[in-house]
Amino acid sequence: MGIENLAEKAQILIRSRLCNPNFIFKPLSDSPDSNYSKLKFIISSSIMEACNNSILLLGPRGSGKVAVLELVLSDLLEEYPDTITVIRLNGLLHSEDNCAFKEIARQLCMEHHLLFSKMASFDDNSQFMIAMLRECGLAHKTVIFSLDEFDLFAQGKQRLLYSLLDAMQSVTSQAVVVGVSCRLDADQLLEKRVRSRFSHRKLLFLPPSKEDVQRLLEHILSLPMDSSLAHDYAAEFNEKLQSILADERFKEIISNYLNSYSTTNHLLRFLFIAISNMELKSGFLSLENFKAALSSIQRQPKQECIKDCSILELYILVCMKRLEIREQNSYNFSSVMKEYKSIHDSFPTSDYYAQNVCLRAFEHLLQRQLICFTDNRGHSQSIEFRQVKLVVSYAELQEGLKSYRSCPVSYSQNSTCF
Amino acid sequence: MGKEESPQITRRVTRLSSSTAVTNNEVEPEKITKPYKPTLNDFVSGGEQLSFNDLLSSFPARGNQIRELLRLLGPVNSPMLPLFVYGDPSTGKTSTILQIFRYLNRPFVYASCRTCYSLQILFESVLNQLLLHKKNAANGYSSAKRCVKPSDFVNFLREDLTSVIEKLRSLKKLGSNKPAGKPNGNMLYLIFDNLELIREWDKSSSALPFMFNLYDVLKMHEVGLIFISNTSPDTYYSNMGYTEHVPVYFPEYTEDDLRQILMKNQANRKLYSSFLDVVLRPFCRSTRRVDELSTAFSPLFRKYCEPLSDLASVPNEEMKRRLFSHFRPHIAPSLNEIFWVPSKSSTEAEINKDTRQKGSTRKPEVGDHFAQIDFHMSTSAKYLLISAFLASRNPATLDASLFDSTGGSDSRKRKRKASEKSMEQKEVAEQELLMKGPGTFPLERLLAIFQCITSAADSLDEEEHENDVLRVGGDCGLMSDVLLQLSSLCNANFIIKGGSCPLEGSTRYRSTVSEDLALKVARNLKFPLPNYLYRR
Repeated sequence: MGIENLAEKAQILIRSRLCNPNFIFKPLSDSPDSNYSKLKFIISSSIMEACNNSILLLGPRGSGKVAVLELVLSDLLEEYPDTITVIRLNGLLHSEDNCAFKEIARQLCMEHHLLFSKMASFDDNSQFMIAMLRECGLAHKTVIFSLDEFDLFAQGKQRLLYSLLDAMQSVTSQAVVVGVSCRLDADQLLEKRVRSRFSHRKLLFLPPSKEDVQRLLEHILSLPMDSSLAHDYAAEFNEKLQSILADERFKEIISNYLNSYSTTNHLLRFLFIAISNMELKSGFLSLENFKAALSSIQRQPKQECIKDCSILELYILVCMKRLEIREQNSYNFSSVMKEYKSIHDSFPTSDYYAQNVCLRAFEHLLQRQLICFTDNRGHSQSIEFRQVKLVVSYAELQEGLKSYRSCPVSYSQNSTCF
Repeated sequence: MGKEESPQITRRVTRLSSSTAVTNNEVEPEKITKPYKPTLNDFVSGGEQLSFNDLLSSFPARGNQIRELLRLLGPVNSPMLPLFVYGDPSTGKTSTILQIFRYLNRPFVYASCRTCYSLQILFESVLNQLLLHKKNAANGYSSAKRCVKPSDFVNFLREDLTSVIEKLRSLKKLGSNKPAGKPNGNMLYLIFDNLELIREWDKSSSALPFMFNLYDVLKMHEVGLIFISNTSPDTYYSNMGYTEHVPVYFPEYTEDDLRQILMKNQANRKLYSSFLDVVLRPFCRSTRRVDELSTAFSPLFRKYCEPLSDLASVPNEEMKRRLFSHFRPHIAPSLNEIFWVPSKSSTEAEINKDTRQKGSTRKPEVGDHFAQIDFHMSTSAKYLLISAFLASRNPATLDASLFDSTGGSDSRKRKRKASEKSMEQKEVAEQELLMKGPGTFPLERLLAIFQCITSAADSLDEEEHENDVLRVGGDCGLMSDVLLQLSSLCNANFIIKGGSCPLEGSTRYRSTVSEDLALKVARNLKFPLPNYLYRR
């Protein structure tokens, strides 16, 4: 096998690892005070003791809440194969009560090989759920409800949450509700009647520490020695990887990146780009791959937009900026045109265009969202008279003008002589 | 699940046609595909195999982006995190990605949020493509599955994707020697184009987070998601924390890139190159979009070639100079023009100016006979246009003094000495006028002004309007006709029907006509418009 072939295999392996959250969170979960152990203890004890429980997993988006939950669930399903039913709901999909009950009924039917009726009403479904909960409780089976985007279930009347938690108050039922949310105040969103039925257990997910990041990097990027990959290649790959990981410059890149994006998902995204950048010809990762990944992931969209602008569009931006500097708080296309004319009167250049060309440039800016309308009302007004505002900061505009390659002289004068 | 067993015997053509519709700037070689049974082969774009060099050469100045995308898509059967491809309109995002998939020969499903203009249509379009379902008369143009809610969509999608991927897998086992046109690998890619449009949909606050979280919701490693958007990721504000994808940026073309692109598919490259030498730089200063530039250049090039007898001739220096001196007077006016409507009366001497907002017309300023306008409009419609303009510009309180029996002659009496304070007030008022735009007016006021100015015009230039059908003076029979004219002016967007006034409850109108156009129409009628216009 040629080195390219090997490298491709290694690349596929690592990419599939990056896309598989179970693999990523495995090594972080062995210590006793990890969220994994805590969560597993809570759920398994409520399975053993046949009691009801509820818990919230909170943490920023992409910190691996669902991944850890799924890891726990898959382990528990192995441990207690016949006593667990898992119902998965997502607030993005099932925030409507009707829809949620239907989905619960559907999943319960699937699990217990019952016939699911699409036509069943809201009432039927909710009664079916309560009946099933009782039946499961009598058969000593635990139903685990995983509610992703928990905060979205707390919108509206919260009928789902109420009937779920209310059903769990009885001795016969045996259920665990696990809410997952990236809002730290998720439990404050609950109504009083729901909150009083909710146990206020919370698990907080924090971004990985420096040591964890180091362990993750090794865990994800190093190749297994005993797989289909040639032993020599894997050994050499791992050796090179070690030298990169130990490199001060690499550590700087990683800490630079994690300063602005700290969660595990961000790290995965970064590694994904780095792995994709790997040269198949040489077959090994290099520091350059990580540098390239950093520059392609740390984008500054506003500055890119300003660089994309034509001279005329920049003129309009500068006009608007001048208006803002003069503390004229509300302005529209017509007043921008007036300013444009006055600039042109004081610095005559060839860049003076008719109003319709300017309007087109103005529309381009609107489309890029470098400027936007101040209000959503007034659709009957034509664009020229609707109030607009700049969405780029002065510093960004200044920076963009400076880096503009063919920036005309009068331009930089304009932007500095406010 | 019984739906896959009866696939329609139709060829899918929608994808290719939609891809060319979205990016019409790139001239894609139209390929002829033989009719074949709808099989899994439908998930690749088909056609002959594309080599990497073809791919690169068909997209000038996009080499970096193509390489980056290829790297991110990775080798066959490698899972992928969702990509977010963004860049200005007409930078070749969609066509590049579709051609890349043609080159890679991997299965994909393409759905554009522009053609699928609501969530339901988007969902059903994706599902139809997955199920190889084609809308036709036999099935009453219905979709394979009805799907309104995201929750249903996810269930269906998961089910269909699993079955398709299963089939792709078995296909791979069966045929080890891959003929051309067979899908490559068992990853399936979903491409969502024009994502920025979802922001304007009704349920955008829930639809956008859903789209962004689709990968996490699906939890399927065999599915790659690609989002294409006109605007950068930071313009997708959401209050629930935004899930970030791997960004791929398509920058705007530079002047050299534009030259390369415009030079593609030109018959006489030397001639076109000398043409671009003249026009490209000035035009680039106002816009750098390929689609806008190419539409602007095609009539200009024709004009440039006018003195040439043989279009295939290679221009030498002397000829270039001659062409340039012939062409030079056309450059400056064309810079100030954004679209070109061929008009019957257009002559060489005209300096063309168009009105974009008004859409339907184009009015050249003709040097000497300024009273001419080159669009047809009845006299009463012209008067109506002017009265609407006056009603929008003048404050209603001054109507009485402007339009009393003496005509507009007394409007000059209200001149006062300009003090410091009044100057300031004037400035503020001017500012306000700029901000507010044209004012609104009820129908009654418009009709009153219309009557006043038509009677004034009658008395002013009786002799010139002798054959005129317009005799309004107190004639109520004409009112119905005027109302018809008004509605046609509304349709032509000269007058906008605004919201109703909260106090009176009647509909209010607003004139969108610019002062230039109003003055021109007035000149055409020989109507002294400036006398009636209130100047602050």
